[in-house]
Amino acid sequence: MTATATGPSGGPTIPRADAVFTGGPAMPRQGAVEVEHLTHVYPSGKVLALEDVSVSIGHGEIVGVVGQNGSGKTTFSKHLNGLLKPTSGRVVVNGIDTAGKRVQELAAHVGYVFQNPNHQLFATTVQADLAFGPQNLGLPEDEVQARVERAIEFFGLQHVRELHPYRISFPMRKLVGIAGIYTMQPAIFVLDEPTTGQDHVTTQVINTLIRRLRDEGATVVCVSHDMPLLADVVDRLLVMWNAHLIADASPREVFSNTEVMARTKLEPPQVTSISMQLGRRPALSVDDLATDLESNLTSVGVA
Amino acid sequence: MQGVAVPVSLVAGNSIIHRLNPIAKLAWVVVVLVIAFMTRNPLFLLALAVVGLVLVTAAGIWRSFSRVMLILLPIGTSLIVFQAVAPAFPRPWTPITTFGPFTIYQEGIYSGLSLLSRAVSMTVFALVMIMTTHPSDLFTSLKRLRVPYVLNFMLAMTLQLIPVLQREIGVVMSAQKSRGMKSTGFGAVLPSFVPVFAGAIERVQQLSISLESRAFGSSGIKTSYRQVSVRPFDWLIGAMAVAFLIACIAIFLTNNFLDMSRTLVIPAELSLILVGLSALGFVGFVGSAIWLIVRA
Repeated sequence: MTATATGPSGGPTIPRADAVFTGGPAMPRQGAVEVEHLTHVYPSGKVLALEDVSVSIGHGEIVGVVGQNGSGKTTFSKHLNGLLKPTSGRVVVNGIDTAGKRVQELAAHVGYVFQNPNHQLFATTVQADLAFGPQNLGLPEDEVQARVERAIEFFGLQHVRELHPYRISFPMRKLVGIAGIYTMQPAIFVLDEPTTGQDHVTTQVINTLIRRLRDEGATVVCVSHDMPLLADVVDRLLVMWNAHLIADASPREVFSNTEVMARTKLEPPQVTSISMQLGRRPALSVDDLATDLESNLTSVGVA
Repeated sequence: MQGVAVPVSLVAGNSIIHRLNPIAKLAWVVVVLVIAFMTRNPLFLLALAVVGLVLVTAAGIWRSFSRVMLILLPIGTSLIVFQAVAPAFPRPWTPITTFGPFTIYQEGIYSGLSLLSRAVSMTVFALVMIMTTHPSDLFTSLKRLRVPYVLNFMLAMTLQLIPVLQREIGVVMSAQKSRGMKSTGFGAVLPSFVPVFAGAIERVQQLSISLESRAFGSSGIKTSYRQVSVRPFDWLIGAMAVAFLIACIAIFLTNNFLDMSRTLVIPAELSLILVGLSALGFVGFVGSAIWLIVRA
């Protein structure tokens, strides 16, 4: 938009991206998130962080946002709960235009889970920290307690509920951080790098939790570099590159698009690469590949 | 998200002040500090502050500088108001006029202006140095002066941690706002500062381990990838600082430290305007603080 603006890394002016890759025919979506021609220029240094991004996310969808560092992922996600306001364009979440709204007003609709849980934990016990969000929403005390109990059960925090948040392990703190947003029951969850620094077990727990959030009707936007997680759990991938949205399609379509993958220097999950090298459809998990190979063997009469 | 942190750190630039050797700048800060505590003459101290503001202009740091100076507003206004009615000055006090039920004293106005101008002059020079000097350059320069390595390192790390903590405060405030925290005043202290301080302690622990693992404290000559040159111009500026200090001391010793507390006649109208404006500013600040607490 701004001719003089530089790229996210301070480089030269970015050429306009090609048309957004959308994979197959677009599905009609009821917008939980509607982003229209969103452009954002950071005032300090006039850095162009997003340019003309338009996307619609339906209720109950799980959407992943991927791209290299500095591609605009975090800037995009911070627009969803009003932490950043568009320089131009429009962001509507749950039917509310974020332009005139404070972050605190949007918090009841959009829950933003920060990458580092230490940035939000402050209370003397886990359960007191979980109560902070709903109390801010002005809910009656019995409702707050009910939500805290539900979150403790949902996230399996029974054994740490009385502990100080800084006395529990980092992976557990991460879960408490997500639970602190869960108690506010927003329609939309934005998860910033939910599995960074997590072991395999916690990554699997987070994977399961994301699915359960969707089962409860929530929309989940997951900003991550964790390709196996995204391949396994998301319905769609938004691919950011140099402040532009260059792909909005299913993980299978994105991973098999060599041009998008090459331009963004993203690596698909190992199993996806193997399946493609075998000449099969891009598999999103080991089970997916096994099923595909099994059906192939059946069709040729081997199995 | 925006406007949370006050940037007390280097403002990038290439002005003559930026290019000046850090020691020359430090010399001026120390000289102003010494002078500010030697005299109570508000006119002299305000003149020093004006010189500092010229340097701010030359350095092109007005934007960041003025944001930091806003912090002095409640302090400055309260100094004027409280000193005017209850001077921290030996009796007898000379009444000038009344302000409601309060009597305003000449020594009070003088004392308030003295304290304010002292704070302003010192802060202006200190900010000019901090906002135009890369912490590593200061580190390297102090090393040349044979300042003990550990002391030098502590100073440099303190300056470098300020912007880091400011960024951290911004992120934590965003995280808590995202959880619906409506407080922006004192109500935000606990949810915001516990994570910031816990993070700071954790960072310091990690830093100490990291330093030890890289042989911090070992003997030998320390080198730096940043080279700071000392030009004749830097020597000149440093020498000017010393000369200015000597001249000021000479003037102070021969002129009763420029004390005008009993001779400077402050007109009643001027005193009323000064105290009235200060009271207005102070009440405005206190009122907005109370409003923020109540709103929280």
